[in-house]
Amino acid sequence: MTRTHCPYCALQCGMTLTPSEEGVSVTPRDFPTNRGGLCQKGWTSADVLRAPDRITRPLVRGESGDLEPVSWDEALAYVAARVRAIQAAHGHDAVAVFGGGGLTNEKAYQLGKFARVALRTRHIDYNGRFCMSSAAAAGNRAFGVDRGLPFPLADVAGADAVLLVGSNVADTMPPLVQHLGPVRAKGGLVVVDPRHSATAALTDAESTGAGGLHLRALPGTDQVLLLGLLHLVVADGLADEEYLAARTTGWDDVRRSVALWWPDRVARVTGVPEALLRRAAHLLADASPARGGAGAVVLTGRGAEQHTDGTDTVTAAINLALALGLPGRRSSGYGCLTGQGNGQGGREHGQKSDQLPGYRMIDDPEARAHVAGVWGVDPDLLPGKGVPAVELLGKLGGEVRGLFVHGANVLVSAPDALAVRRRISELDLLVVCDFVPGETAQLADVVLPVTQWAEEEGTMTNLEGRVLRRRKALDPPGEARSELDILADLARLLDSPAAFETDPATVFDELARASAGGRADYSGLSHARLDAVEEGLFWPCPAGSDGTPRMFTERFAHPDGRARMVATTPGAPADDLQPDRPVYLITGRVLAHYQSGAQTRRVAALNRASAEPFVELHPQLARRLAVDDGDDVAVTSPRGTAVARARITTGIRPDTVFMPFHWPGAGMANAVTNDATDPISGMPEFKVCAVSVARADLATALHEAPRPDTEEIPA
Amino acid sequence: MTLNAPEKASGQAPEKVLVIGAGMVGHRFVEELVRGDRDQRYAVELVGEEEYEPYNRILLSDVLAGRSDLKAISLPMPDPGRVQFWRGVAASAIDRESGVVHLSDGSTRPYDRLVLATGARAFVPPVPGLGVSDEGGQPRHVHVLRTLDDCRNIAARAINAKHAVVLGGGVLGLEAACGLRRRGVPVTVVDLDAHVMATQLDAPAAHVLAAQLADLGVDVVTGTSVAEVISAYDELVAVRLTDGRIVAADLMLVSCGVRANVELARGAGLDVDRGVVVDATLTSTDPRVHAIGDCAQAPGGMPGLLAPGWRQAEQLARMLTEPTYAEEADETAGPAASQEPVRLKAAGVDLVTMGVRASTARDTDRVITLSDPAGRRHVDLVVRPDDRGEPTLVGVTCLGAADVSATLSVAFDRRTPLPVDPLALLLPDGGRAEESTSPVRMPGSTTVCRCNGVSKKDIVAAWEAGAGTVEAIAGRTRATTGCGGCKDVVCGLVDWLNASDPASPLSDAGTGPADRPLTDATSPLGGGRSTDVTQRNITAPSTS
Ligand SMILES: Cc1cc2nc3c(=O)[nH]c(=O)nc-3n(C[C@H](O)[C@H](O)[C@H](O)COP(=O)(O)OP(=O)(O)OC[C@H]3O[C@@H](n4cnc5c(N)ncnc54)[C@H](O)[C@@H]3O)c2cc1C
Ligand code: SF4
Repeated sequence: MTRTHCPYCALQCGMTLTPSEEGVSVTPRDFPTNRGGLCQKGWTSADVLRAPDRITRPLVRGESGDLEPVSWDEALAYVAARVRAIQAAHGHDAVAVFGGGGLTNEKAYQLGKFARVALRTRHIDYNGRFCMSSAAAAGNRAFGVDRGLPFPLADVAGADAVLLVGSNVADTMPPLVQHLGPVRAKGGLVVVDPRHSATAALTDAESTGAGGLHLRALPGTDQVLLLGLLHLVVADGLADEEYLAARTTGWDDVRRSVALWWPDRVARVTGVPEALLRRAAHLLADASPARGGAGAVVLTGRGAEQHTDGTDTVTAAINLALALGLPGRRSSGYGCLTGQGNGQGGREHGQKSDQLPGYRMIDDPEARAHVAGVWGVDPDLLPGKGVPAVELLGKLGGEVRGLFVHGANVLVSAPDALAVRRRISELDLLVVCDFVPGETAQLADVVLPVTQWAEEEGTMTNLEGRVLRRRKALDPPGEARSELDILADLARLLDSPAAFETDPATVFDELARASAGGRADYSGLSHARLDAVEEGLFWPCPAGSDGTPRMFTERFAHPDGRARMVATTPGAPADDLQPDRPVYLITGRVLAHYQSGAQTRRVAALNRASAEPFVELHPQLARRLAVDDGDDVAVTSPRGTAVARARITTGIRPDTVFMPFHWPGAGMANAVTNDATDPISGMPEFKVCAVSVARADLATALHEAPRPDTEEIPA
Repeated sequence: MTLNAPEKASGQAPEKVLVIGAGMVGHRFVEELVRGDRDQRYAVELVGEEEYEPYNRILLSDVLAGRSDLKAISLPMPDPGRVQFWRGVAASAIDRESGVVHLSDGSTRPYDRLVLATGARAFVPPVPGLGVSDEGGQPRHVHVLRTLDDCRNIAARAINAKHAVVLGGGVLGLEAACGLRRRGVPVTVVDLDAHVMATQLDAPAAHVLAAQLADLGVDVVTGTSVAEVISAYDELVAVRLTDGRIVAADLMLVSCGVRANVELARGAGLDVDRGVVVDATLTSTDPRVHAIGDCAQAPGGMPGLLAPGWRQAEQLARMLTEPTYAEEADETAGPAASQEPVRLKAAGVDLVTMGVRASTARDTDRVITLSDPAGRRHVDLVVRPDDRGEPTLVGVTCLGAADVSATLSVAFDRRTPLPVDPLALLLPDGGRAEESTSPVRMPGSTTVCRCNGVSKKDIVAAWEAGAGTVEAIAGRTRATTGCGGCKDVVCGLVDWLNASDPASPLSDAGTGPADRPLTDATSPLGGGRSTDVTQRNITAPSTS
């Protein structure tokens, strides 16, 4: 019996693995985040361990053009030689690393170190840029630190009101919904979403008895809505002036800026009736401790964040929370719901283009000196700031000639994915570490088979900033190896000036030293210590500390201890409605699948539950377009077209269509999405673009859709 | 039409832009100019007569109604690093020859480019006793509503007022009347037109509005005007209407439209009609002088509303900061003045109008009207094919239907596709169907546990296979093991199954499902029994 956690999302539900005929079987475990619950993805997670097409040997593209099995020595020698050749011709920065938010802390840390000291490239970033960066930027700006939830999830249950902006937790993290039970029973749940998503349905009176509020804002108008709520807080005298005076700076600017967002203007822009705005503002204010309530929580998800004004949108949410005096108070505060399994830890230990371990900035000389000291190298050897993910992908085939991909499937998950595919095919070298032949692996020159969650030791940091242990239950199949081993070997072959440890506990100890004194301080943690506490420990956890479940109770992380309020101005979608593209496309996840689907599409039960992509549209729009339920529908932007079956539902705005983004091929939503990014965070605008929608057989001028990948990969 | 925006500022002294009027539009212009002027080509100065910090004028009705805290209306102060702001000082004359403006404090400010944003003031019609002419002052307690001072004075008077008269039943007059009523003052609105809000509303909608106002305690008298204002010892006591009636009043608000503040421009010899005449590039007869907002008479007319003034502010700022912008400028002209959206901002009334009204629709337009006077509702929609033949929403009058007004605004503003039958626009949320949640009535295929994709059929089958408790059902199907949200429904199903069949698995575990009698009426599956249920083992997820 092995106590570990689900491999997928940031809720990191506790589970127990028991040896079985097929390998291991999964049972849920009572853990504070999941309280004994698991979603279908978690229940079936062991299936991915025995995926029939698992990669078990290193593969190198041979003369024939096919990927052919080779020995580890051959594969790594080949990679090292190609890297040397590229770097000799084009410089160190010509080789880039693209990481993932699903990697353990140890791997994320080691990958950042590998890029900086073995490859000596400034070009490293990761797919967390697609999901966490705007909330991270806003959190750092406001609070001086970025921890998704600065309080344990269970605190939410004590609140009287919860505002959820752009997050469909009922599908993406079902067990989390348990924590919303008490709030729903009080009628205190407010959900902002253009769709009547499973989460929005939690506000239906029939589902709760009490009924919350669903604010069905037009895509791309979340910030306006938040500014409108803050306007009402000011207009109705609901702000916690005492808290604002004692604990924040910038309130005067922010208050003035919302004078421009009076209710009927906001209703006009967002499509949310004024009366609902007023009810929502009062619901939140009445729940705030300052006004005698039990607490109010403001939470954002990708729906609010994946916009060109995403950082400012999150800032507006934080400003609302601060105006009501929530952060640092009981059962109250602002939080962002991290998506990927280790989306939190993945961004703290050096995968970001501008950061070193411990959330240190790479252009800070002190930080460089400290980390270089731990690594035993000269600080001057460390490269400078790189560029965020979308910009990095834009350099492929140009300035960047070689790419390592770890724990990411950019061919499906990046915005404007067809352009990414074109650029990737221009590379001189693509090395993909994966355990299944995902879409990106299929284009690679070298595929290195790696271990999966139940085959390795390590740590993950969940959406609460809780560091927990991932444990090994069985041996990896064939010749699969951990990235820690692969990186160590490659580093040696590349004559790295620093040594690379391979034992996860030892790597963690090094990570802890590197993070000491940083914003995300892990120096009081070790595998042994985490093994001794059942429920994990929260960072910051400097040596000698017991961790920090609740942040900001006394002070914020800026030097003056105050939160910074920054006035924001909403932007319009970068690709807004046009006469010939009069409908918004929004994208998201379904319950049965995770991210690009590389893992979950390999689980039969999940495919049964959700077999293919679809286009959700309102009956009014469907009738206008002569589309029947189940018809193939083409969704087109200047970037590309996706074709998928129509799913007609009144649960979406008539001016908006929704597509899940888990599938490659003809129905790939990211062929259509826009790669415009937020100027502060570099996060792309996945959540809104303008499209034309037509029945596929009537669609004219169809952009060429990519063929589904059919390439065979030897196992 | 180009504006000769300087291409580069390298080495040159910055161009002096002087803005007169720190109202809503002047304020916005300065903000946009500073935002767009990244290389600091311009030195910006702002002169405003009002002593207050810039504020949101249109929220004065809400402040008057006690619906908004004063704190909510202060606007951001212009960035002191970029803008010199002269507050509480009026411009008294423009010397165009030497390019300077004389200020009321005796000083002068030079300019290279002058932007007039002097706005408008309330128009007070020549009614005997109102004292607008030179013989004598206005009686006490007669007010207009344009500035924060006006608002404060009215609110102060409202504390002791016994009856108020509002002259003019336009949007502003009605907002103020509702506001005064909310403060407990009985109000009579007097309007010369046959019905209120004649600029925006057709008679049927206006009548419903009048009824709604009456419900709120606001009395409306139309087709008549004030013939005389009667005062005693300079204090207002009553008004006499043109039909001879006398209405006692100790507070009067004159709300008869606005007149542009053009004296400055006229004095400087610029072309002035009802406003400062400007062309499509917002330039007056002097190429160095622009006018925007309520004081400007642009080719599109003078709507006296904020949105078009803001568009002008943005247009002018962009023309000055983006060299390529000028050519496209004309296209940014918004809807015609008469078609600007207008909303009545008053508690208890939800009214928004935009675009074409029903009475002026073309024969080929589709006009959908919902007339529900007793329910205090009235909606007119005008739908017209655009130049590509796509039907678009070109007119909305929406009273008392708050659920749909925001949706209609979006469809009007963004020209989103309309339903084939525009009638559907009248349904809140586009007509979302109610879903049955009673476990008994829902069809077998309904998903009960979303987390694990378990349908009602699966649960019934598990029960038939011997799982008689929620825990047993969970063990077999995993229902309830995700978020737990379906526990109540599963409980309900189990109770109902156990109750509907006395030979339940609990009481008689040996009885197979086929042995039990089934009638269609009580069949858990509504008549058919399914056997194709996937059974899942709780400890070994199926891989097939
Ligand atoms: C109570 C109320 C409610 C309203 N509601 C709405 C609404 O809901 N929607 C809508 O669209 N519109 C509404 N309006 C109209 C809207 O306020 C105006 O269209 C808008 O304010 C015009 O802006 P402006 O800057 O052109 O003029 P103003 O806001 O009038 O500003 C002009 C400024 O210039 C100053 N000024 C004038 N002459 C000089 C001088 N010589 N020297 C220096 N300064 C000078 C004035 O003191 C004033 O501060 C409302 C108006 C009022 C009064
Ligand atoms: S995917 Fe997320 S919610 Fe589902 S079981 Fe795994 S950790 Fe829990």
